[in-house]
Amino acid sequence: MIELQNVTKRYPGNREALSHLNLTIEQGEMAFLTGPSGAGKSTLLKLIAAIEKPTRGQIFINRKNITRIPNRKIPALRRHMGVVFQDHHLLHDRNVFDNVSLPLQIAGFAQVDINRRVRAALDKVDLLDKESMMPITLSGGEQQRVGIARAVVHKPAILLADEPTGNLDPELSAEIMQLFSDFNQVGVTVLIASHDLDLIMRLQKRIIRLRDGQCIDSQSIQSAQEYEVIN
Amino acid sequence: MAKTRHQQPLKRPNLKTRFRAYVRDHLRVLLFSLGKLYRTPFASIMTLLMIAVALALPTCLYVLLNNLQNVTNQWDDAGQITLFLDSGTSEKQIKSVKQQIANNENVEQVVYVPADIALNDFKQRSGFGDLLEGLPDNPLPPTIVVTPVNSAKKGNTLYELRNSLQKLAHVDQVQLDMQWLQRLQAISKIIQRTIFAIGVMLALSVLLVVGNSIRLDIENRRDEIEVTKLIGATDRFIRRPFLYGGLWFGLLGGVLALLLVFIVLLGIRQPTQELVSLYNSNFKLMLPSFKQSLSLILASILLGLLGSWLAVNRRISKIQPS
Ligand SMILES: Nc1ncnc2c1ncn2[C@@H]1O[C@H](COP(=O)(O)OP(=O)(O)OP(=O)(O)O)[C@@H](O)[C@H]1O
Ligand SMILES: [Mg+2]
Repeated sequence: MIELQNVTKRYPGNREALSHLNLTIEQGEMAFLTGPSGAGKSTLLKLIAAIEKPTRGQIFINRKNITRIPNRKIPALRRHMGVVFQDHHLLHDRNVFDNVSLPLQIAGFAQVDINRRVRAALDKVDLLDKESMMPITLSGGEQQRVGIARAVVHKPAILLADEPTGNLDPELSAEIMQLFSDFNQVGVTVLIASHDLDLIMRLQKRIIRLRDGQCIDSQSIQSAQEYEVIN
Repeated sequence: MAKTRHQQPLKRPNLKTRFRAYVRDHLRVLLFSLGKLYRTPFASIMTLLMIAVALALPTCLYVLLNNLQNVTNQWDDAGQITLFLDSGTSEKQIKSVKQQIANNENVEQVVYVPADIALNDFKQRSGFGDLLEGLPDNPLPPTIVVTPVNSAKKGNTLYELRNSLQKLAHVDQVQLDMQWLQRLQAISKIIQRTIFAIGVMLALSVLLVVGNSIRLDIENRRDEIEVTKLIGATDRFIRRPFLYGGLWFGLLGGVLALLLVFIVLLGIRQPTQELVSLYNSNFKLMLPSFKQSLSLILASILLGLLGSWLAVNRRISKIQPS
Protein backbone atom coordinates (compact mmCIF):
# COMPACT_ATOMS: atom_id res chain seq x y z
CA MET A 1 0.00 0.00 0.00
CA ILE A 2 2.66 2.51 1.11
CA GLU A 3 6.21 1.71 0.17
CA LEU A 4 9.34 3.83 0.56
CA GLN A 5 12.52 2.59 -1.09
CA ASN A 6 15.80 4.09 0.03
CA VAL A 7 14.20 7.52 0.46
CA THR A 8 16.32 10.54 1.30
CA LYS A 9 14.89 14.00 1.90
CA ARG A 10 17.08 17.04 2.27
CA TYR A 11 15.52 20.48 2.69
CA PRO A 12 17.46 23.28 1.07
CA GLY A 13 20.32 24.33 3.36
CA ASN A 14 19.64 21.61 5.96
CA ARG A 15 21.05 18.25 6.79
CA GLU A 16 19.07 15.21 5.68
CA ALA A 17 15.65 15.06 7.34
CA LEU A 18 15.29 11.48 6.15
CA SER A 19 18.17 9.35 4.98
CA HIS A 20 18.06 6.08 3.07
CA LEU A 21 14.74 5.13 4.60
CA ASN A 22 13.05 1.84 3.67
CA LEU A 23 9.54 1.25 4.89
CA THR A 24 6.48 -0.73 3.87
CA ILE A 25 3.02 -0.35 5.31
CA GLU A 26 0.57 -3.01 4.22
CA GLN A 27 -2.97 -2.41 3.12
CA GLY A 28 -5.27 -2.29 6.13
CA GLU A 29 -2.40 -1.89 8.55
CA MET A 30 -2.30 0.65 11.36
CA ALA A 31 1.06 2.05 12.43
CA PHE A 32 2.42 4.80 14.66
CA LEU A 33 5.40 6.97 13.84
CA THR A 34 7.34 8.10 16.84
CA GLY A 35 10.71 9.51 17.72
CA PRO A 36 12.26 12.68 19.09
CA SER A 37 11.57 16.10 17.73
CA GLY A 38 13.28 16.64 14.40
CA ALA A 39 13.45 12.90 13.69
CA GLY A 40 11.57 13.34 10.42
CA LYS A 41 8.05 12.15 11.31
CA SER A 42 6.25 15.07 9.70
CA THR A 43 8.58 14.90 6.73
CA LEU A 44 7.68 11.26 6.15
CA LEU A 45 3.95 12.03 6.19
CA LYS A 46 4.48 14.97 3.84
CA LEU A 47 6.29 12.76 1.35
CA ILE A 48 3.41 10.28 1.36
CA ALA A 49 0.85 13.06 0.81
CA ALA A 50 3.04 14.52 -1.97
CA ILE A 51 3.39 17.77 -0.06
CA GLU A 52 7.14 17.37 -0.38
CA LYS A 53 9.11 15.42 -2.94
CA PRO A 54 12.00 13.11 -2.03
CA THR A 55 15.55 14.11 -2.86
CA ARG A 56 16.43 10.49 -3.68
CA GLY A 57 14.65 7.15 -3.65
CA GLN A 58 11.20 5.99 -4.72
CA ILE A 59 7.75 6.17 -3.15
CA PHE A 60 4.87 3.92 -4.14
CA ILE A 61 1.23 4.26 -3.11
CA ASN A 62 -0.95 1.35 -4.17
CA ARG A 63 1.91 0.25 -6.42
CA LYS A 64 1.80 3.59 -8.21
CA ASN A 65 5.08 5.44 -8.27
CA ILE A 66 4.42 8.93 -6.94
CA THR A 67 8.07 9.95 -6.63
CA ARG A 68 7.94 12.52 -9.41
CA ILE A 69 4.19 13.00 -9.58
CA PRO A 70 3.27 16.08 -11.66
CA ASN A 71 1.25 18.79 -9.90
CA ARG A 72 -1.85 18.18 -11.97
CA LYS A 73 -2.08 14.58 -10.75
CA ILE A 74 -1.72 15.42 -7.07
CA PRO A 75 -5.42 16.23 -6.43
CA ALA A 76 -6.48 12.74 -7.57
CA LEU A 77 -3.85 11.16 -5.29
CA ARG A 78 -4.99 13.16 -2.30
CA ARG A 79 -8.61 12.21 -2.80
CA HIS A 80 -7.60 8.67 -1.89
CA MET A 81 -6.23 9.92 1.41
CA GLY A 82 -7.48 11.62 4.49
CA VAL A 83 -5.12 13.93 6.32
CA VAL A 84 -5.48 15.12 9.93
CA PHE A 85 -3.29 17.86 11.33
CA GLN A 86 -2.38 18.96 14.80
CA ASP A 87 -3.97 22.35 14.22
CA HIS A 88 -7.16 21.18 12.62
CA HIS A 89 -7.05 23.56 9.65
CA LEU A 90 -10.78 24.18 9.46
CA LEU A 91 -12.22 26.88 7.21
CA HIS A 92 -13.65 29.54 9.47
CA ASP A 93 -16.04 31.16 7.02
CA ARG A 94 -18.36 28.14 6.90
CA ASN A 95 -20.10 25.87 9.35
CA VAL A 96 -19.18 22.36 10.47
CA PHE A 97 -21.31 20.65 7.87
CA ASP A 98 -19.76 22.62 5.01
CA ASN A 99 -16.26 21.96 6.34
CA VAL A 100 -16.83 18.25 6.49
CA SER A 101 -18.55 18.08 3.11
CA LEU A 102 -15.66 19.80 1.30
CA PRO A 103 -13.92 16.60 0.10
CA LEU A 104 -17.21 15.32 -1.31
CA GLN A 105 -17.96 18.62 -3.03
CA ILE A 106 -14.51 18.55 -4.59
CA ALA A 107 -15.08 15.01 -5.86
CA GLY A 108 -18.48 15.98 -7.30
CA PHE A 109 -20.91 13.89 -5.28
CA ALA A 110 -24.68 14.26 -5.49
CA GLN A 111 -26.22 16.35 -2.72
CA VAL A 112 -28.16 13.42 -1.24
CA ASP A 113 -24.96 11.39 -0.94
CA ILE A 114 -23.16 14.36 0.56
CA ASN A 115 -25.85 14.82 3.19
CA ARG A 116 -25.83 11.13 4.03
CA ARG A 117 -22.05 10.77 4.19
CA VAL A 118 -21.47 13.97 6.17
CA ARG A 119 -24.05 12.96 8.77
CA ALA A 120 -22.50 9.50 9.00
CA ALA A 121 -19.02 11.00 9.52
CA LEU A 122 -20.28 13.51 12.08
CA ASP A 123 -22.13 10.74 13.87
CA LYS A 124 -18.90 8.75 14.02
CA VAL A 125 -17.09 11.60 15.81
CA ASP A 126 -20.18 12.31 17.91
CA LEU A 127 -20.84 15.79 16.59
CA LEU A 128 -24.13 15.27 14.80
CA ASP A 129 -25.82 17.99 16.84
CA LYS A 130 -23.14 20.57 15.97
CA GLU A 131 -23.39 20.43 12.20
CA SER A 132 -24.61 24.00 11.73
CA MET A 133 -22.21 25.61 14.18
CA MET A 134 -19.22 27.66 13.13
CA PRO A 135 -15.84 26.05 13.91
CA ILE A 136 -14.74 29.01 16.00
CA THR A 137 -17.49 28.31 18.53
CA LEU A 138 -16.32 24.74 19.17
CA SER A 139 -13.84 23.50 21.76
CA GLY A 140 -10.35 22.32 20.72
CA GLY A 141 -11.31 18.68 20.95
CA GLU A 142 -14.49 19.25 18.98
CA GLN A 143 -12.59 21.08 16.27
CA GLN A 144 -10.11 18.22 16.09
CA ARG A 145 -12.99 15.79 15.67
CA VAL A 146 -14.46 17.92 12.88
CA GLY A 147 -11.04 17.69 11.20
CA ILE A 148 -11.13 13.91 11.55
CA ALA A 149 -14.67 13.73 10.17
CA ARG A 150 -13.50 15.73 7.17
CA ALA A 151 -10.56 13.37 6.70
CA VAL A 152 -12.75 10.26 6.61
CA VAL A 153 -15.98 11.52 5.05
CA HIS A 154 -14.99 10.32 1.57
CA LYS A 155 -13.91 6.88 2.87
CA PRO A 156 -10.25 7.21 1.98
CA ALA A 157 -8.10 4.13 1.67
CA ILE A 158 -5.29 5.81 3.61
CA LEU A 159 -5.55 7.99 6.69
CA LEU A 160 -2.53 10.09 7.69
CA ALA A 161 -2.40 12.04 10.95
CA ASP A 162 0.34 14.30 12.29
CA GLU A 163 0.12 14.69 16.07
CA PRO A 164 -3.67 14.47 16.05
CA THR A 165 -3.81 14.57 19.85
CA GLY A 166 -1.03 17.12 20.26
CA ASN A 167 -2.89 19.53 22.50
CA LEU A 168 -5.74 17.49 23.90
CA ASP A 169 -6.18 16.09 27.39
CA PRO A 170 -5.38 12.37 27.94
CA GLU A 171 -8.98 11.21 28.01
CA LEU A 172 -9.86 12.97 24.77
CA SER A 173 -6.61 11.74 23.20
CA ALA A 174 -7.53 8.17 24.01
CA GLU A 175 -10.96 8.69 22.46
CA ILE A 176 -9.49 10.04 19.30
CA MET A 177 -6.96 7.23 18.98
CA GLN A 178 -9.83 4.81 19.45
CA LEU A 179 -11.59 6.53 16.56
CA PHE A 180 -8.58 5.93 14.32
CA SER A 181 -8.49 2.36 15.48
CA ASP A 182 -12.16 2.01 14.52
CA PHE A 183 -11.45 3.27 11.04
CA ASN A 184 -8.62 0.77 10.78
CA GLN A 185 -11.11 -1.92 11.81
CA VAL A 186 -13.09 -1.31 8.65
CA GLY A 187 -10.02 -1.63 6.45
CA VAL A 188 -8.48 1.83 6.29
CA THR A 189 -4.69 1.98 6.28
CA VAL A 190 -3.75 4.33 9.11
CA LEU A 191 -0.42 6.05 9.80
CA ILE A 192 -0.16 8.39 12.79
CA ALA A 193 2.78 10.45 13.99
CA SER A 194 2.65 10.85 17.75
CA HIS A 195 4.81 11.56 20.78
CA ASP A 196 2.38 10.02 23.18
CA LEU A 197 4.11 6.68 23.85
CA ASP A 198 1.84 5.60 26.70
CA LEU A 199 -1.21 6.07 24.59
CA ILE A 200 0.05 4.37 21.44
CA MET A 201 1.44 1.41 23.30
CA ARG A 202 -1.96 0.67 24.74
CA LEU A 203 -3.37 0.28 21.25
CA GLN A 204 -0.94 -2.54 20.50
CA LYS A 205 -0.20 -1.65 16.93
CA ARG A 206 3.00 -1.45 14.97
CA ILE A 207 5.33 1.33 16.15
CA ILE A 208 7.90 2.83 13.79
CA ARG A 209 10.65 4.68 15.62
CA LEU A 210 12.62 7.33 13.77
CA ARG A 211 15.77 9.09 14.85
CA ASP A 212 17.79 11.53 12.77
CA GLY A 213 15.91 10.55 9.67
CA GLN A 214 16.51 6.84 10.07
CA CYS A 215 14.26 4.03 11.10
CA ILE A 216 15.82 2.57 14.22
CA ASP A 217 13.07 0.16 15.05
CA SER A 218 9.83 -1.04 13.57
CA GLN A 219 7.72 -3.82 14.98
CA SER A 220 4.42 -4.80 16.38
CA ILE A 221 4.39 -4.49 20.11
CA GLN A 222 1.97 -6.53 22.12
CA SER A 223 2.55 -5.12 25.58
CA ALA A 224 4.30 -2.46 27.58
CA GLN A 225 6.69 -4.98 29.05
CA GLU A 226 7.73 -6.07 25.63
CA TYR A 227 8.39 -2.45 24.70
CA GLU A 228 10.60 -1.99 27.69
CA VAL A 229 12.51 -5.17 26.84
CA ILE A 230 13.20 -3.81 23.37
CA ASN A 231 14.58 -0.63 24.80
CA MET B 1 -10.40 -13.52 16.16
CA ALA B 2 -13.22 -11.26 15.10
CA LYS B 3 -13.64 -10.92 11.41
CA THR B 4 -13.14 -7.32 10.30
CA ARG B 5 -16.03 -5.80 8.39
CA HIS B 6 -14.41 -3.87 5.58
CA GLN B 7 -16.04 -0.65 4.50
CA GLN B 8 -17.14 -0.39 0.92
CA PRO B 9 -14.93 2.16 -0.79
CA LEU B 10 -16.95 5.15 -1.92
CA LYS B 11 -17.47 4.82 -5.64
CA ARG B 12 -16.50 7.76 -7.78
CA PRO B 13 -19.76 9.42 -8.87
CA ASN B 14 -20.73 8.81 -12.49
CA LEU B 15 -20.37 11.45 -15.17
CA LYS B 16 -23.97 12.66 -14.95
CA THR B 17 -23.78 13.08 -11.19
CA ARG B 18 -20.44 14.81 -11.47
CA PHE B 19 -21.82 17.17 -14.10
CA ARG B 20 -24.82 18.04 -11.96
CA ALA B 21 -22.52 18.54 -9.00
CA TYR B 22 -20.39 20.78 -11.21
CA VAL B 23 -23.35 23.00 -12.11
CA ARG B 24 -24.50 23.01 -8.49
CA ASP B 25 -21.03 23.99 -7.36
CA HIS B 26 -20.95 26.88 -9.84
CA LEU B 27 -24.26 28.19 -8.51
CA ARG B 28 -23.17 27.76 -4.93
CA VAL B 29 -19.88 29.54 -5.55
CA LEU B 30 -21.74 32.32 -7.37
CA LEU B 31 -23.81 32.99 -4.26
CA PHE B 32 -20.90 32.35 -1.92
CA SER B 33 -18.73 34.96 -3.60
CA LEU B 34 -21.59 37.47 -3.48
CA GLY B 35 -21.91 36.74 0.23
CA LYS B 36 -18.19 37.38 0.58
CA LEU B 37 -18.62 40.90 -0.83
CA TYR B 38 -21.51 41.42 1.56
CA ARG B 39 -19.43 40.34 4.54
CA THR B 40 -16.73 42.95 3.85
CA PRO B 41 -19.06 45.83 2.98
CA PHE B 42 -16.60 48.68 3.33
CA ALA B 43 -13.88 47.22 1.13
CA SER B 44 -16.46 46.04 -1.39
CA ILE B 45 -18.14 49.42 -1.66
CA MET B 46 -14.78 51.15 -2.11
CA THR B 47 -13.82 48.80 -4.91
CA LEU B 48 -17.24 49.05 -6.56
CA LEU B 49 -17.16 52.85 -6.42
CA MET B 50 -13.71 52.95 -7.97
CA ILE B 51 -14.90 50.71 -10.79
CA ALA B 52 -18.09 52.71 -11.23
CA VAL B 53 -16.37 56.09 -11.40
CA ALA B 54 -13.71 54.79 -13.79
CA LEU B 55 -16.41 53.48 -16.13
CA ALA B 56 -18.93 56.30 -15.71
CA LEU B 57 -16.51 59.05 -16.73
CA PRO B 58 -15.73 57.87 -20.27
CA THR B 59 -19.34 56.74 -20.73
CA CYS B 60 -20.66 60.21 -19.88
CA LEU B 61 -18.19 61.80 -22.26
CA TYR B 62 -19.13 59.32 -24.95
CA VAL B 63 -22.84 59.98 -24.60
CA LEU B 64 -22.29 63.74 -24.66
CA LEU B 65 -20.19 63.41 -27.80
CA ASN B 66 -22.94 61.32 -29.36
CA ASN B 67 -25.37 64.11 -28.61
CA LEU B 68 -23.05 66.67 -30.14
CA GLN B 69 -22.79 64.59 -33.29
CA ASN B 70 -26.55 64.32 -33.44
CA VAL B 71 -26.82 68.10 -33.42
CA THR B 72 -24.23 68.55 -36.16
CA ASN B 73 -25.96 65.87 -38.21
CA GLN B 74 -29.13 67.95 -38.07
CA TRP B 75 -27.20 70.87 -39.44
CA ASP B 76 -25.53 68.78 -42.03
CA ASP B 77 -28.30 69.23 -44.61
CA ALA B 78 -28.26 73.00 -44.19
CA GLY B 79 -25.13 73.52 -46.32
CA GLN B 80 -26.15 77.08 -47.00
CA ILE B 81 -23.98 79.87 -48.38
CA THR B 82 -24.37 83.34 -46.96
CA LEU B 83 -23.32 86.35 -49.04
CA PHE B 84 -22.67 89.63 -47.28
CA LEU B 85 -22.98 92.49 -49.76
CA ASP B 86 -21.25 95.85 -49.68
CA SER B 87 -23.15 98.20 -47.38
CA GLY B 88 -24.07 100.75 -49.98
CA THR B 89 -25.44 98.37 -52.59
CA SER B 90 -28.68 99.63 -54.18
CA GLU B 91 -31.89 97.64 -54.53
CA LYS B 92 -31.40 97.47 -58.27
CA GLN B 93 -27.90 96.12 -57.99
CA ILE B 94 -29.07 93.56 -55.49
CA LYS B 95 -31.80 92.42 -57.85
CA SER B 96 -29.26 91.88 -60.60
CA VAL B 97 -27.00 89.92 -58.26
CA LYS B 98 -29.93 87.75 -57.22
CA GLN B 99 -30.78 87.10 -60.85
CA GLN B 100 -27.21 86.12 -61.66
CA ILE B 101 -27.15 83.68 -58.79
CA ALA B 102 -30.51 82.16 -59.60
CA ASN B 103 -29.24 81.39 -63.09
CA ASN B 104 -26.60 79.08 -61.71
CA GLU B 105 -27.72 75.49 -62.22
CA ASN B 106 -26.35 74.49 -58.83
CA VAL B 107 -28.56 76.90 -56.94
CA GLU B 108 -31.92 75.87 -55.60
CA GLN B 109 -33.09 78.99 -53.81
CA VAL B 110 -32.00 82.58 -53.34
CA VAL B 111 -33.34 84.61 -50.42
CA TYR B 112 -32.57 88.28 -49.96
CA VAL B 113 -32.48 89.49 -46.37
CA PRO B 114 -32.48 93.32 -46.22
CA ALA B 115 -30.18 94.84 -43.61
CA ASP B 116 -33.04 96.14 -41.40
CA ILE B 117 -34.76 92.78 -41.34
CA ALA B 118 -31.48 91.08 -40.48
CA LEU B 119 -31.06 93.56 -37.65
CA ASN B 120 -34.56 92.94 -36.27
CA ASP B 121 -34.01 89.25 -36.47
CA PHE B 122 -30.75 89.56 -34.63
CA LYS B 123 -32.28 91.80 -31.95
CA GLN B 124 -34.93 89.21 -31.23
CA ARG B 125 -32.69 86.22 -31.20
CA SER B 126 -29.67 87.56 -29.41
CA GLY B 127 -31.31 89.32 -26.50
CA PHE B 128 -29.07 92.35 -27.11
CA GLY B 129 -32.10 94.33 -28.33
CA ASP B 130 -31.75 97.27 -25.95
CA LEU B 131 -28.08 97.62 -26.62
CA LEU B 132 -28.54 97.68 -30.38
CA GLU B 133 -31.37 100.24 -30.04
CA GLY B 134 -28.78 102.85 -29.19
CA LEU B 135 -26.82 102.45 -32.41
CA PRO B 136 -27.17 105.29 -34.92
CA ASP B 137 -26.58 103.08 -37.99
CA ASN B 138 -27.42 99.55 -38.84
CA PRO B 139 -24.12 97.67 -38.54
CA LEU B 140 -25.37 94.70 -40.53
CA PRO B 141 -24.87 94.48 -44.32
CA PRO B 142 -27.60 93.35 -46.70
CA THR B 143 -27.45 89.59 -47.00
CA ILE B 144 -28.31 86.95 -49.57
CA VAL B 145 -28.75 83.38 -48.45
CA VAL B 146 -28.15 80.79 -51.15
CA THR B 147 -29.34 77.22 -50.84
CA PRO B 148 -27.53 74.94 -53.30
CA VAL B 149 -29.29 72.01 -54.95
CA ASN B 150 -28.76 68.81 -53.03
CA SER B 151 -26.24 67.38 -55.45
CA ALA B 152 -24.05 70.49 -55.05
CA LYS B 153 -23.97 70.41 -51.26
CA LYS B 154 -20.96 68.19 -50.96
CA GLY B 155 -17.26 68.58 -51.53
CA ASN B 156 -15.75 70.34 -54.54
CA THR B 157 -18.96 71.47 -56.23
CA LEU B 158 -19.81 73.45 -53.14
CA TYR B 159 -16.39 75.07 -53.04
CA GLU B 160 -16.59 75.91 -56.78
CA LEU B 161 -19.99 77.44 -56.22
CA ARG B 162 -18.64 79.47 -53.34
CA ASN B 163 -15.71 80.68 -55.45
CA SER B 164 -17.95 81.71 -58.33
CA LEU B 165 -20.25 83.60 -55.93
CA GLN B 166 -17.24 85.32 -54.40
CA LYS B 167 -16.34 86.75 -57.81
CA LEU B 168 -19.71 88.47 -58.29
CA ALA B 169 -19.82 92.28 -58.11
CA HIS B 170 -20.95 93.88 -54.80
CA VAL B 171 -20.26 90.73 -52.85
CA ASP B 172 -18.13 91.54 -49.87
CA GLN B 173 -17.84 88.24 -48.07
CA VAL B 174 -19.00 84.68 -48.62
CA GLN B 175 -19.54 82.37 -45.73
CA LEU B 176 -19.90 78.66 -46.27
CA ASP B 177 -21.73 77.04 -43.36
CA MET B 178 -19.93 73.85 -44.25
CA GLN B 179 -16.61 75.22 -43.15
CA TRP B 180 -17.24 75.44 -39.48
CA LEU B 181 -19.30 72.28 -39.68
CA GLN B 182 -16.29 70.46 -41.03
CA ARG B 183 -14.11 71.98 -38.37
CA LEU B 184 -16.61 70.86 -35.79
CA GLN B 185 -16.49 67.36 -37.22
CA ALA B 186 -12.72 67.35 -37.14
CA ILE B 187 -12.80 68.53 -33.54
CA SER B 188 -15.34 65.90 -32.64
CA LYS B 189 -13.05 63.30 -34.16
CA ILE B 190 -10.25 64.51 -31.90
CA ILE B 191 -12.59 64.45 -28.92
CA GLN B 192 -13.69 60.96 -29.91
CA ARG B 193 -10.10 59.72 -29.98
CA THR B 194 -9.39 61.41 -26.67
CA ILE B 195 -12.42 59.80 -25.06
CA PHE B 196 -11.33 56.48 -26.47
CA ALA B 197 -7.85 56.90 -24.99
CA ILE B 198 -9.29 57.96 -21.63
CA GLY B 199 -11.63 54.98 -21.81
CA VAL B 200 -8.76 52.58 -22.44
CA MET B 201 -6.74 54.00 -19.56
CA LEU B 202 -9.69 53.84 -17.17
CA ALA B 203 -10.55 50.32 -18.30
CA LEU B 204 -6.98 49.43 -17.47
CA SER B 205 -7.42 50.95 -14.03
CA VAL B 206 -10.57 48.84 -13.54
CA LEU B 207 -8.46 45.77 -14.35
CA LEU B 208 -5.95 46.87 -11.74
CA VAL B 209 -8.57 47.65 -9.10
CA VAL B 210 -10.30 44.30 -9.52
CA GLY B 211 -6.99 42.46 -9.84
CA ASN B 212 -5.64 44.06 -6.70
CA SER B 213 -8.75 43.35 -4.68
CA ILE B 214 -8.76 39.68 -5.78
CA ARG B 215 -5.03 39.40 -5.14
CA LEU B 216 -5.53 40.63 -1.57
CA ASP B 217 -8.36 38.16 -1.12
CA ILE B 218 -6.08 35.34 -2.29
CA GLU B 219 -3.33 36.42 0.12
CA ASN B 220 -5.84 36.51 2.99
CA ARG B 221 -7.01 33.04 2.12
CA ARG B 222 -3.62 31.48 1.60
CA ASP B 223 -4.11 29.05 4.51
CA GLU B 224 -7.52 28.13 3.29
CA ILE B 225 -6.19 27.48 -0.20
CA GLU B 226 -3.44 25.25 1.18
CA VAL B 227 -5.93 23.23 3.20
CA THR B 228 -8.28 22.85 0.27
CA LYS B 229 -5.40 21.65 -1.86
CA LEU B 230 -4.48 19.15 0.81
CA ILE B 231 -8.00 17.76 0.62
CA GLY B 232 -7.53 17.17 -3.09
CA ALA B 233 -9.03 20.27 -4.68
CA THR B 234 -7.87 21.09 -8.19
CA ASP B 235 -6.59 24.55 -9.04
CA ARG B 236 -9.72 25.08 -11.07
CA PHE B 237 -11.95 24.37 -8.08
CA ILE B 238 -10.00 26.84 -5.97
CA ARG B 239 -9.92 29.45 -8.69
CA ARG B 240 -13.69 29.47 -9.14
CA PRO B 241 -14.79 31.65 -6.18
CA PHE B 242 -12.15 34.25 -7.06
CA LEU B 243 -13.25 34.42 -10.68
CA TYR B 244 -16.85 34.76 -9.57
CA GLY B 245 -15.71 37.49 -7.20
CA GLY B 246 -14.38 39.36 -10.25
CA LEU B 247 -17.65 38.73 -12.05
CA TRP B 248 -19.64 40.30 -9.22
CA PHE B 249 -17.28 43.28 -9.05
CA GLY B 250 -17.80 43.75 -12.79
CA LEU B 251 -21.56 43.33 -12.72
CA LEU B 252 -22.24 45.48 -9.66
CA GLY B 253 -19.61 48.05 -10.65
CA GLY B 254 -21.18 48.27 -14.12
CA VAL B 255 -24.70 48.77 -12.74
CA LEU B 256 -23.39 51.43 -10.37
CA ALA B 257 -21.55 53.12 -13.26
CA LEU B 258 -24.74 53.19 -15.30
CA LEU B 259 -26.56 54.72 -12.36
CA LEU B 260 -23.91 57.43 -12.11
CA VAL B 261 -24.16 58.13 -15.84
CA PHE B 262 -27.93 58.57 -15.62
CA ILE B 263 -27.64 60.80 -12.59
CA VAL B 264 -25.06 63.04 -14.30
CA LEU B 265 -26.93 63.23 -17.61
CA LEU B 266 -30.31 63.84 -16.01
CA GLY B 267 -28.60 66.52 -13.95
CA ILE B 268 -27.44 68.43 -17.03
CA ARG B 269 -30.50 67.72 -19.12
CA GLN B 270 -32.52 70.62 -17.75
CA PRO B 271 -29.79 73.24 -18.27
CA THR B 272 -29.15 72.06 -21.85
CA GLN B 273 -32.87 72.22 -22.52
CA GLU B 274 -32.84 75.85 -21.41
CA LEU B 275 -29.78 76.54 -23.53
CA VAL B 276 -31.14 75.04 -26.76
CA SER B 277 -34.55 76.63 -26.30
CA LEU B 278 -32.76 79.94 -26.80
CA TYR B 279 -31.78 78.71 -30.26
CA ASN B 280 -35.26 77.52 -31.22
CA SER B 281 -33.88 74.05 -31.66
CA ASN B 282 -35.88 70.92 -31.03
CA PHE B 283 -32.76 69.20 -29.77
CA LYS B 284 -33.21 66.94 -26.76
CA LEU B 285 -30.32 65.49 -24.74
CA MET B 286 -30.28 61.77 -25.40
CA LEU B 287 -29.67 59.37 -22.51
CA PRO B 288 -27.81 56.09 -23.17
CA SER B 289 -29.95 53.65 -25.13
CA PHE B 290 -30.83 50.21 -23.79
CA LYS B 291 -28.19 48.69 -26.03
CA GLN B 292 -25.53 51.13 -24.83
CA SER B 293 -26.45 50.47 -21.20
CA LEU B 294 -26.22 46.74 -21.75
CA SER B 295 -22.86 47.13 -23.50
CA LEU B 296 -21.54 49.11 -20.55
CA ILE B 297 -22.53 46.39 -18.10
CA LEU B 298 -21.21 43.60 -20.31
CA ALA B 299 -17.92 45.43 -20.77
CA SER B 300 -17.73 45.89 -17.02
CA ILE B 301 -18.35 42.19 -16.41
CA LEU B 302 -15.65 41.29 -18.92
CA LEU B 303 -13.21 43.68 -17.24
CA GLY B 304 -14.04 42.18 -13.83
CA LEU B 305 -13.51 38.65 -15.08
CA LEU B 306 -10.31 39.55 -16.89
CA GLY B 307 -8.97 41.44 -13.87
CA SER B 308 -9.62 38.54 -11.52
CA TRP B 309 -8.27 36.07 -14.04
CA LEU B 310 -5.04 38.04 -14.28
CA ALA B 311 -4.78 38.05 -10.49
CA VAL B 312 -5.66 34.38 -10.10
CA ASN B 313 -3.66 33.05 -13.01
CA ARG B 314 -0.55 31.23 -11.77
CA ARG B 315 -0.90 32.69 -8.27
CA ILE B 316 -3.15 29.80 -7.20
CA SER B 317 -0.88 27.13 -8.63
CA LYS B 318 2.07 28.69 -6.84
CA ILE B 319 0.40 28.25 -3.45
CA GLN B 320 1.23 24.76 -2.23
CA PRO B 321 0.67 23.25 1.21
CA SER B 322 3.79 22.90 3.33
N1 LIG C 1 10.26 23.14 5.46
C1 LIG C 1 11.47 22.83 5.99
N2 LIG C 1 12.56 23.49 5.59
C2 LIG C 1 13.77 23.19 6.09
N3 LIG C 1 13.98 22.25 7.00
C3 LIG C 1 12.94 21.55 7.45
C4 LIG C 1 11.62 21.81 6.97
N4 LIG C 1 10.77 20.96 7.59
C5 LIG C 1 11.52 20.22 8.41
N5 LIG C 1 12.81 20.56 8.34
C6 LIG C 1 13.91 19.92 9.07
O1 LIG C 1 13.84 18.54 8.84
C7 LIG C 1 14.07 17.83 10.04
C8 LIG C 1 12.90 16.91 10.33
O2 LIG C 1 11.76 17.70 10.59
P1 LIG C 1 10.33 17.09 10.87
O3 LIG C 1 9.35 18.22 10.92
O4 LIG C 1 10.05 16.03 9.89
O5 LIG C 1 10.52 16.49 12.31
P2 LIG C 1 9.45 15.83 13.27
O6 LIG C 1 9.91 14.46 13.56
O7 LIG C 1 8.09 16.01 12.71
O8 LIG C 1 9.61 16.72 14.56
P3 LIG C 1 8.48 17.18 15.61
O9 LIG C 1 8.25 16.04 16.51
O10 LIG C 1 9.12 18.33 16.34
O11 LIG C 1 7.27 17.58 14.84
C9 LIG C 1 14.29 18.87 11.12
O12 LIG C 1 15.69 18.97 11.32
C10 LIG C 1 13.75 20.13 10.54
O13 LIG C 1 14.52 21.23 10.97
MG1 LIG D 1 6.34 17.10 13.23
